[in-house]
Amino acid sequence: MIRYENVRKVYTGKNEDVVALKDVTLDIDKGSLVVLLGPSGCGKTTLLRLTNRLEKLTSGKILVKNEDIKTFNEVKLRQSMGYVIQQIGLFPNKTIKENVGIVPKLLGWNKKRIDDRVDELLDMVNLDPTTYRNRYPVELSGGQQQRVGVARALGADPDILLMDEPFGAIDPINREQIQNVFLKLQEKLKKTIVFVSHDIHEAIKMGDKIAIFREGQLLQYDTPIDLLTRPENRFVSDFVGADRALKVLGLIRARDIVNKDYSKLVIQSDIPAEEALNNLTANKKRFFIVLKNNKPIGYVDKQVLNYEKGRVEKLAKPFSGQIEMMETLRDVLSLMLMSEGAFYPVVDDKGDFIGTISYKDIQDKLVNIYKEDED
Amino acid sequence: MNKLLEYILENYNNIISLTWEHIFIVSIAMVFAVIIGVPAGIFITRYEVFAKKVINTANIFMTIPSIALFGIMLPLLSPFNLGLGKVPAIIALVLYSQLPIIRNTYVAIKNVDPAIVDAAKGTGLSRWRLLKEIEAPLAIPVIIAGVRTASVMSIGITAIAAYIGAGGLGVLIDQGINRYYTEMVVTGAIMVSILAIFVDAFMAALERISTPKGVILGRKLEK
Amino acid sequence: MIINFLGKLKTFFLFVLFVLTGVYLEKIGFFDYITDPYEYPYILRLLKQHIVMVAVSMFLATITGVVVGIILTRPKFSKYSGIVMYIVGLGQTIPSLAVLALSLSVLGIGFKPAVFALYIYSVLPIARNTLAGILSVPPEIKDAAKGTGFSNMRILFEIEIPYSMSVIITGFRVALVINIGTVALGYLIGAGGLGELIFTGISLMDTKMLLAGAIPTTLLALFGDFLCELASFILVPKGLRTSSKTN
Repeated sequence: MIRYENVRKVYTGKNEDVVALKDVTLDIDKGSLVVLLGPSGCGKTTLLRLTNRLEKLTSGKILVKNEDIKTFNEVKLRQSMGYVIQQIGLFPNKTIKENVGIVPKLLGWNKKRIDDRVDELLDMVNLDPTTYRNRYPVELSGGQQQRVGVARALGADPDILLMDEPFGAIDPINREQIQNVFLKLQEKLKKTIVFVSHDIHEAIKMGDKIAIFREGQLLQYDTPIDLLTRPENRFVSDFVGADRALKVLGLIRARDIVNKDYSKLVIQSDIPAEEALNNLTANKKRFFIVLKNNKPIGYVDKQVLNYEKGRVEKLAKPFSGQIEMMETLRDVLSLMLMSEGAFYPVVDDKGDFIGTISYKDIQDKLVNIYKEDED
Repeated sequence: MNKLLEYILENYNNIISLTWEHIFIVSIAMVFAVIIGVPAGIFITRYEVFAKKVINTANIFMTIPSIALFGIMLPLLSPFNLGLGKVPAIIALVLYSQLPIIRNTYVAIKNVDPAIVDAAKGTGLSRWRLLKEIEAPLAIPVIIAGVRTASVMSIGITAIAAYIGAGGLGVLIDQGINRYYTEMVVTGAIMVSILAIFVDAFMAALERISTPKGVILGRKLEK
Repeated sequence: MIINFLGKLKTFFLFVLFVLTGVYLEKIGFFDYITDPYEYPYILRLLKQHIVMVAVSMFLATITGVVVGIILTRPKFSKYSGIVMYIVGLGQTIPSLAVLALSLSVLGIGFKPAVFALYIYSVLPIARNTLAGILSVPPEIKDAAKGTGFSNMRILFEIEIPYSMSVIITGFRVALVINIGTVALGYLIGAGGLGELIFTGISLMDTKMLLAGAIPTTLLALFGDFLCELASFILVPKGLRTSSKTN
């Protein structure tokens, strides 16, 4: 969707030239959210602003939908892309409605269409249209203002959004909220987004792919997991953080490492104890996982089965916790650290048993990921 | 007091005509001052290098006492027969008004938050749209404030211009002093004061009306 | 590059202007006039009168203006500040000639009525700026001072006044420049001063007399303005200096 070819940007100064971007080539796929990440001055904002021609290319090409952006009229190009900046920049002399509807108005939509669209957009960012549409920016909090900023960028339903540290000026609590709202939105809308950030956590949370920059050069362009598990050089691994193993835990989900070996160790809850015991001894097993209606309710071992009678359902010792398949490994590990248990059952969104996870399972999986790490 | 009222009633027509003359001079001068000053103010926001120099030059003119300026202009313009009368008065008024108008225009435009300008450009507003929809509405109240200062100042200077033959309410003061006619002097003084106060109030109202609602709310909330 | 050229052009232009003015003045006999032993004591006397009127009225106005300004910021009187400033503002709107004329009708002609009118007219900018200046001192700073144990008097003299120095001096400067110009009008109500040369020069169409009044008045005003800049430099604490004319 967006293609940067050998992009180079030099600022000529009185005493010396500053090379903001050295030679950047990058492809952004349709529907993906790519984070341009890096320290101050690395060129990420410059690259963003070159995309809608707020800055001029020194050399190289930028193609949007396979057409060179130079062939478009500057103003029309910008109207076809959403633009959100850190300082928000809502027009103080216009109402929220007028702010959000500015691009549709420039494009000549009729009044009713604009009004409907404004309400639709305000709804999408969780701002009640009736309350907010006639307010002025100065009456809203920072978080609310930026949500309006996002709505304004989506005004004419552009395919591309350019966002420059959009949530940077918002306090941490609201920032998390608005990030979540935005992620949900993106899931629905599937826009192509170029998102500038200097925060690795934000990048991992928001990005489908991350492009790391340093002093005008693109160092690595990968998915968050690949970036964390296979940093290409010292700078990247430092930038990403020494705790990247922990960060990865936030990206991998239980279902990615669920161990299905124990599926053979399953028995139904209505089986009587004696039968279970016989089964255990015959197959040289040490325990069974008890399922009722396919849901794990506990386990039984020789000890229990020896001394009690009745259905295993009644005798089963409950697990100290269970894991849903979509939970991140971070939450799984957190559970493991808080309770004792050799392993835990994993269930799907209906609650049905799909396998187990133990600490060793996590270790095995992660060691494999980092195998090519040492450099 | 009675004598004063008597005087006013007897010379009502003259007073009114002088008032109109006064208003006429100030209005013409303001029109020219704005036509020159506002574009100049916009110009120096685009070309910062000139900003300091232009404003300093305008400031120097403001420092010169009005009667002195009239005095200096007299020999300069007499060869063209323009040393006396309304023309030198209007020229002086225009010069005096440049500082408040240029400076206010410059400050007004500069004070528009650059983040807003960036957001506007990035969203796809053309230069013209940006000026029309955002910069102008925000800048106009401040520019009007500048014109207000200039107008009130001009009313005072025009009174002095009576001494170089420009007419206006200063004539009442001048002739009143010459004839030892106190009521005439007081009428002149009061009329010109009323005019000044009225114009000031009028322009203050204009300022208020032209301030966008979003900005007024902002000020209220700050308190 | 272009800026350098324009700068040089401007300097050249001013130089030419200066020379032409000198030539012109010589031609009309200006220099002869002001160096004429019959005339120049007279001119000097008017200049002295002018300066005295400015000095006396500005001195009284500054004391009154600053004191009133400060008083209005004290909590006990702050409720009057609105009304007083409104009246002051109104007063500023009234043309200087009108103030002189009214003073004439009430107090008669001469030095004293003129100085009185000047005094009234010059208090306004000073009081207003003093008030605004002191009110603009960030409350946190006063609070910190109080917390440290400053008495109210100390806060006033060591914090509030230095902080508002820049604004107060600006008010003084505005008042001073207007004052010098208005003193020139003082001639009309019998107070003398350089205005005598200007107005008489106009009536008699005597250019050299006119300029003998207008030029010194202008120079006086420019010099006064310059002195204020200097004062600002000296009196405003280093950490608070802001750029002047674009404010």
